Amino acid sequence: MNAGDVAQRAAARAGRDALALVTRERSLTLRFAHNRPTQATAIDDVTVELAVVRAGHVGRATTNAVDDGSLLACARRAALAAEAAAASGDGAFPGFPVPADAPSDYGHDPETARLDPECGGAALAAAFDAAAGSGLEGHGIWSAGEEERAVATADRVAVDRTTDAFMKVICIAPGSGRSGYAAETAVAAGRIDGGGLAERAAAKAATAGTSVELEPGEYPVVFAPDAVGWLCDLLAGTAFNGLAHAERRGALSGRLGQVVAAPAINLADSPRLRRTLPRAFDADGVAKASLPLIQDGVAQGVVHDVRSAALAGARSTGHALAPGGHPDGPHPTNLVLAGGGAADEQELAARVDRGVYVTRLWYANVVRPKETLVTAVTRDGTFLIEHGMITRPLRDLRLTDSVLGILSRTQALTGEQKLTSDGEFYGRRFAFGVVCPALLASSVRFTGPAS
Amino acid sequence: MHDLLENLMDSAARRAEYADARFVRTRAERLSTRNGALDQLDSDESEGIGVRVRLRGAWGFGAVRGADRYGADEALGRALSVAEAQPAAGGAELAPEPPARGRWESPAERDPFEVPLEDKLAVLIACDAGLRTDPGVRVTLAQFQARRVDRLFASTEGALCEQRTTECGGSIAAVAVNGDESQVRSYPASHGGSVAQAGYEHFVRLELAGAAPRVADEAAQLVRAPACPPGRTTLVLAGEQLGLQIHESVGHALELDRVLGREASYAGTSFVPANGIGSVRLGSEMVSFSADATSAGGLGTYRWDDEGVSGRREPLVHEGVLAGFLSSRETAAEIGLPRSGGCMRADGFARQPIVRMTNVNLEPGAAGSLDDLLADTGAGLLIETNRSWSIDNRRLHFQFEGEAGWEIRDGERARLVRNPSYAGRTASFWAGCDAICSPSEWELTSLLDCGKGEPGQVIRVSHGSAPARFRDVEVGVA
Repeated sequence: MNAGDVAQRAAARAGRDALALVTRERSLTLRFAHNRPTQATAIDDVTVELAVVRAGHVGRATTNAVDDGSLLACARRAALAAEAAAASGDGAFPGFPVPADAPSDYGHDPETARLDPECGGAALAAAFDAAAGSGLEGHGIWSAGEEERAVATADRVAVDRTTDAFMKVICIAPGSGRSGYAAETAVAAGRIDGGGLAERAAAKAATAGTSVELEPGEYPVVFAPDAVGWLCDLLAGTAFNGLAHAERRGALSGRLGQVVAAPAINLADSPRLRRTLPRAFDADGVAKASLPLIQDGVAQGVVHDVRSAALAGARSTGHALAPGGHPDGPHPTNLVLAGGGAADEQELAARVDRGVYVTRLWYANVVRPKETLVTAVTRDGTFLIEHGMITRPLRDLRLTDSVLGILSRTQALTGEQKLTSDGEFYGRRFAFGVVCPALLASSVRFTGPAS
Repeated sequence: MHDLLENLMDSAARRAEYADARFVRTRAERLSTRNGALDQLDSDESEGIGVRVRLRGAWGFGAVRGADRYGADEALGRALSVAEAQPAAGGAELAPEPPARGRWESPAERDPFEVPLEDKLAVLIACDAGLRTDPGVRVTLAQFQARRVDRLFASTEGALCEQRTTECGGSIAAVAVNGDESQVRSYPASHGGSVAQAGYEHFVRLELAGAAPRVADEAAQLVRAPACPPGRTTLVLAGEQLGLQIHESVGHALELDRVLGREASYAGTSFVPANGIGSVRLGSEMVSFSADATSAGGLGTYRWDDEGVSGRREPLVHEGVLAGFLSSRETAAEIGLPRSGGCMRADGFARQPIVRMTNVNLEPGAAGSLDDLLADTGAGLLIETNRSWSIDNRRLHFQFEGEAGWEIRDGERARLVRNPSYAGRTASFWAGCDAICSPSEWELTSLLDCGKGEPGQVIRVSHGSAPARFRDVEVGVA
């Protein structure tokens, strides 16, 4: 099956003022627990999304059948929906642009696209050996996928093929329950080292000393890149969403051009950067391009899809998640936070007399979007920093703080950046991540225990 | 399709210790308005076959779109190859289960897909107009949704059963903005509203348009309301917020795959020990929970789960003491239970079944109506609708925030407060439950976005409860 061909056939059946987005997913995910495989899932599926515009309204229909009859039926459902909407009066959707023909040229690895289960099986076996060698139990996943995306109107089609691979290992000490985490995200599965990840996770789980409890309060914090990635993605939803911004619900409403973070903070959406998971176009067919969001601590802009741009009187920045706009608005999926001057996390910790080292955050949720107030728990490697050194394991903590507040209190960043991802694939596979360094914030609010 | 799956299982039986297959066809429709105009009108259809096999104790799962024999063979071959490629697993035997045979369909008086789009839109437009009655409201939202899922299940043990479920519901919301303050009010619930296993009649019964002016007024009031003061107080939870409290702190904690450490990679584990049935106290004597796959209208209601195990009502907590788990055939066997709890569910055809919640319900008490409970409470805080939630990976420490809170003074609902948050520790929180309203107040609330599994799966579930009171709770924490 060729996604470009399907997109062209679908668009032809929908006629003018329509757009077809076809996403084919082939993926393999292997899960494990207690140094044993538990579940393995191989998927070969396609989603055809047809969006038809009538009088400024978008009607959408999807199917996963690609025969001509099914595509025609899907087109009819989309048209019926748009016409029903048009009967309620004129809408504001301006129509779809001509799809951008600009495939990403380094986002695909042919070897990964083979989805060889032996490759994943070997990664699991290496992780099991390394975890067991440290007297620990390894838990986690290995996942690889190939996504072929095609977007077409009646006149033109654009195609982009990408691969992605992800593995995480959580090592847990059977007695104490203490855990450590390591993960890797890449375009190529060959870059994933299962044994190496397990060794890094084991080093955190096997740290000597009894876990101590820290009183709620405000402490200096060194966030490892995986934790910084979570914070940046939460900021994406609360601050950079062009729909929320246009509706004055966004955290940057009335603050563009103002200082919102420390001078060391430079954040952009860079979908063509080699170190991220590159993307060529968004779900509206708009070409992806680099977009500064915060420069030297000053808010520069928000992201738009065609719908939110029309509402704001702006141009789409290529951040649609669905043809015609996702109900929740656009979202940046290739965030890059620039690094700083610190050599490594130890150098960040060296500036802290008493504080907290956070490996990763979990169950993060937005509490009040306009304040970028979020809550999350620390997990799989929380440590006390004493006199400039990462010393003892800490019991997990609940963080409740403003992301922009944390970025305002940022004192230093490591030079080295990492592509972070959580490997979550709900619905059709959509791999994305944040490229970011480790970060030192002078003060972060913890509101209670979390273990 | 029946013959195809049976033939496929004949083929699988020669190549695997166990196999099952599901054909799933899903149809969904979503309509929404935003600020008086149509915002979303989506119509989705998908179908495909998922095949699960077991080899040397290791599971393999393959899924392909479509409904033909070639694709089904592809899925079986892929499931076998990925199972073979993994290190040996040596899992437990499967708890015995008689092969499921037959057909079941959830009740629906009026097919929501047969109602003209124009009629549904007219209701939403009327709702939206009602929400725009207050000048402080910046964004208005109204939505309708319907979903139908057809499932056919077969196994190498001779199961062949077919189910159809129809779901329908909706919600409204208003967002008020005042300078740096933004507040949302939803009805009848946030996060997708109220959806039931029912037809269009459920959407009509919600009477969304009638509630719209009040919802808009409360949103506008909230941006000027005082913040919930921090401290310890008596908390009364009702509706969606109580349902989510049950879901996060009790339902997930009693999923046996988590208890056994199988979900440590993603969803987490549990503070509840696998050997705790009959001895571990999870709440006061007032508190009893059941897992009920037979609750009328519940989104966790089915005749068979996605392993072909009969759905039924099973106790989870009896008078505060652990009485059971949500389990599968494999996890039940692992801790010596005679039978699976029938809790294996999968999100569509392209995900394999994992242990999920049925309708996890809090049994009603005898505290009368909500007004009776407030009158008996004297002073405290009432929260009904959720805005934010978070809990640790062992389901021990939680923090929630509602959309709106009402101070309880002199036994009555008094001043509206914004940002009503609270936090607690699961067992001590439920130990502080000293009153639950009577059966007349008991209702199901829906939860549409329960995520779990890798690759991620979203399932829908309902939770039955009547308003309940909790003593000495920390509030105003965020």
